[in-house]
Amino acid sequence: MKFSKTKLFAAILAVAFSASAISTADAALSRKPQDNFFLATATDPLGLDPALVDDAESGNVICNVYESLFKFKEDNTDIVPSLAESYTVSDDGLVYTFKLRQGVKFHDGTPFNAEAVKFNIDRQMPENVVPKMSYASLVYGDVVKTEVVDEYTVKVTLRKPSTPFLHNLAMNYAAPMVSPAALKANNNNVNQAPCGTGPYKFVAWDRGQQVIVTRNEDYWGEPAKTQNLIFRVMPEASARVVALNNGEVDAIVGVDVNVVDQIKQAGNTLYSSEGMNVSYMFYNCRDTGTTIKLDKDVRRALGMAINKKELVETLYKGYATPADTILPTFVPGYSPNVKPLEYNPEEAKKILEQKGIKSLTIITYSGARAYNTVGGQVLAEAVQAYLDKVGVKADVLVYDWATFKAKLLTDTWDIGFVGWTGDNGDADNFLNLFSSDDPISNQGLWVNQEYRDLIAKGVSLKDGAERTKVYEQAEQILADDAGVYPISHAMVLAAHRPNVKHFLLHKVGNTYLDKVSKE
Amino acid sequence: MAESTSAKRSSRLADMWYSIYSNKAALFGLGFIVFLIITALVVYFTQLLGINILPYDPNETNMDKAFIAPCAEHWFGTDQLGRDIFSRVIDGTKISLSVGVAAVAISLSIGTILGSIGGYFGGKLDNLIMRFMDVILSVPSILLAIAFMAAMGRGLDKAVLAIGLVSIPEYARIARSCVVSVKANDYIQAAIVTGDSSARIILRHILPNITSPIVVRATLGISVAVLDTAALGFLGLGVQPPFAEWGDMLARSRSFIFSAPYTLIFPGLAITLTVLAFNLLGDGLRDALDPRSRRR
Repeated sequence: MKFSKTKLFAAILAVAFSASAISTADAALSRKPQDNFFLATATDPLGLDPALVDDAESGNVICNVYESLFKFKEDNTDIVPSLAESYTVSDDGLVYTFKLRQGVKFHDGTPFNAEAVKFNIDRQMPENVVPKMSYASLVYGDVVKTEVVDEYTVKVTLRKPSTPFLHNLAMNYAAPMVSPAALKANNNNVNQAPCGTGPYKFVAWDRGQQVIVTRNEDYWGEPAKTQNLIFRVMPEASARVVALNNGEVDAIVGVDVNVVDQIKQAGNTLYSSEGMNVSYMFYNCRDTGTTIKLDKDVRRALGMAINKKELVETLYKGYATPADTILPTFVPGYSPNVKPLEYNPEEAKKILEQKGIKSLTIITYSGARAYNTVGGQVLAEAVQAYLDKVGVKADVLVYDWATFKAKLLTDTWDIGFVGWTGDNGDADNFLNLFSSDDPISNQGLWVNQEYRDLIAKGVSLKDGAERTKVYEQAEQILADDAGVYPISHAMVLAAHRPNVKHFLLHKVGNTYLDKVSKE
Repeated sequence: MAESTSAKRSSRLADMWYSIYSNKAALFGLGFIVFLIITALVVYFTQLLGINILPYDPNETNMDKAFIAPCAEHWFGTDQLGRDIFSRVIDGTKISLSVGVAAVAISLSIGTILGSIGGYFGGKLDNLIMRFMDVILSVPSILLAIAFMAAMGRGLDKAVLAIGLVSIPEYARIARSCVVSVKANDYIQAAIVTGDSSARIILRHILPNITSPIVVRATLGISVAVLDTAALGFLGLGVQPPFAEWGDMLARSRSFIFSAPYTLIFPGLAITLTVLAFNLLGDGLRDALDPRSRRR
């Protein structure tokens, strides 16, 4: 009996302690409203270790806590030095020497130096890659070795020249520098204990509720304007709008085009910028796991059946533009000369009849994505209706995002929908998707050797006329062979209270909030 | 003898009818349900024949006509893909009703059989059946239905099965308790003595005497099934797109609650009215069939 009382007491203590843990998180917040900036996002971050995540919600926090060797300019994807002060490249484009900023410390006091850079790169070299390091090969795949020259100089040798390399080093995934001491202390995974050099440092993360970060008073650069940032999780899009209009939060991301009027009527400011993304339809080019044979003619005919202009205008109400190419127009390498597949339902009907295509299966995701704000189901249904008009009945399989990605590999389907948000403003970051053998990137496993050769060539060319020409050819092949069918480029939408100044949702899709302030 | 039985039966029916007729709410419920059934049947058969009697094809999209507020052309407005909501709500009637009736048919038949067996034979068998029913009852029915759907996959037929299976225990319990009380009557003892088989006793002598509470329960059960169908549809587990189902329509419209409320109001109203009608009729039937509340 006595024993059980002790147990009960222990249980009460445990509850009390966990309650106090939550209150310490809240106690970190200042009572002055100007000191706390609340941002509502749709989901919890996957984690806060930049090497182990790839989602926008994680990136939103990461870009405020960590820094990379370079960073993007505010309104485009040109890069400026951040933790690197300067760099030189050897004439053959293979050896990069970075001069690092001096006197920078990680939040745990570990000095930032050449050893730290080498530690971070080595951690993501092929032999050390662990599951979930999905960006390691993109950012560091061409790296042969990293050498420490002196305390603040580091030399990186590449296998082949790579134009995207420096842009990759400004990304919010894989590239940010993590404190080596923190990594060692946390078993090579700082998802729960992020530690970078950025303007904010991590305070607390209540799972499914909020992430709190506070100003890094020892920051090497200009200190952050607002003392605390709170990333609130609010899954329901309409709930976010209500929270914004009530003043419960100061800004929201993931704005549905249908609530724009409601936001404006409440006197809030809509924030929109051209998005570096593309939403597209892919065809299952595998030999098995399909209900019909999707040869080139069928793929083209299916694309011709869709009235892209009408579709995009209706669904996105002007907050997305019809995509003629995979590349958004402002990405270097974009060419207006690519001739897209034209809308031609009569021709489509004729071909599909000839080929005997009467039914097919569509696979799609249910929720909204940054590149498709109405959600995959609505998009699939719109396409289903267009296919119906050319005599093809389509079944639609709808899964939530995580299940959808798994079902792509196991279900039987013919066409599907997905999209891509660019990470670094380089054309290769978009176009290499379809030269991949990985069904995670190249969902339909479309294979075209000519295209692959062009992409391999383009990656080592410097931005300019020659590179644009290569990508123009590649895009033309993609359009002619109907590898995938580009649908739209979505605007990036966010909204904030009228008293919020300098809110920045970058083209790469993340919120840089070190300059944000409230009046 | 035969004549007097039929006279008695018809007088009972007349009694029941009178009771419902004098209950305005139940009458409204009955009227609305008849209207729904006729609508559903007419829509179903005309669609079989390839004729569309609805103002528009419920599944046809018209992208340039998205989000039109209710007007003379589109009585209930149009949805995100330009489909006529009036046509879709009417078309959805046949799905909601057929799922409701089919699900109740499943739970009613299996539940009554299990309950009668348990109640009639008693003992270990009864214990086994009823404890199993208790286990099912202990899990919230909608949660159980979702679990069934998760295991079997999405689709209307599976929704029927899931909703039907989870409400078996309610019928089993009602049937069992009725059987236990009816079994104590002398005429059952007499039937046993005359050597009737158990099956014959259950079918001929017991079941006819326990129909009233089960009919009442079934009427109310349809409303629960309609609601559960809508809930599953709302969670994205119901129909295959593009077919119209009220819960599914509701789910997709909820982000337009402020910008285009009509996309939400009409399917919502359809669910509410249908459920209300079945509840009112069920209440009326209970009053009509309950000897204590029967008018003299």
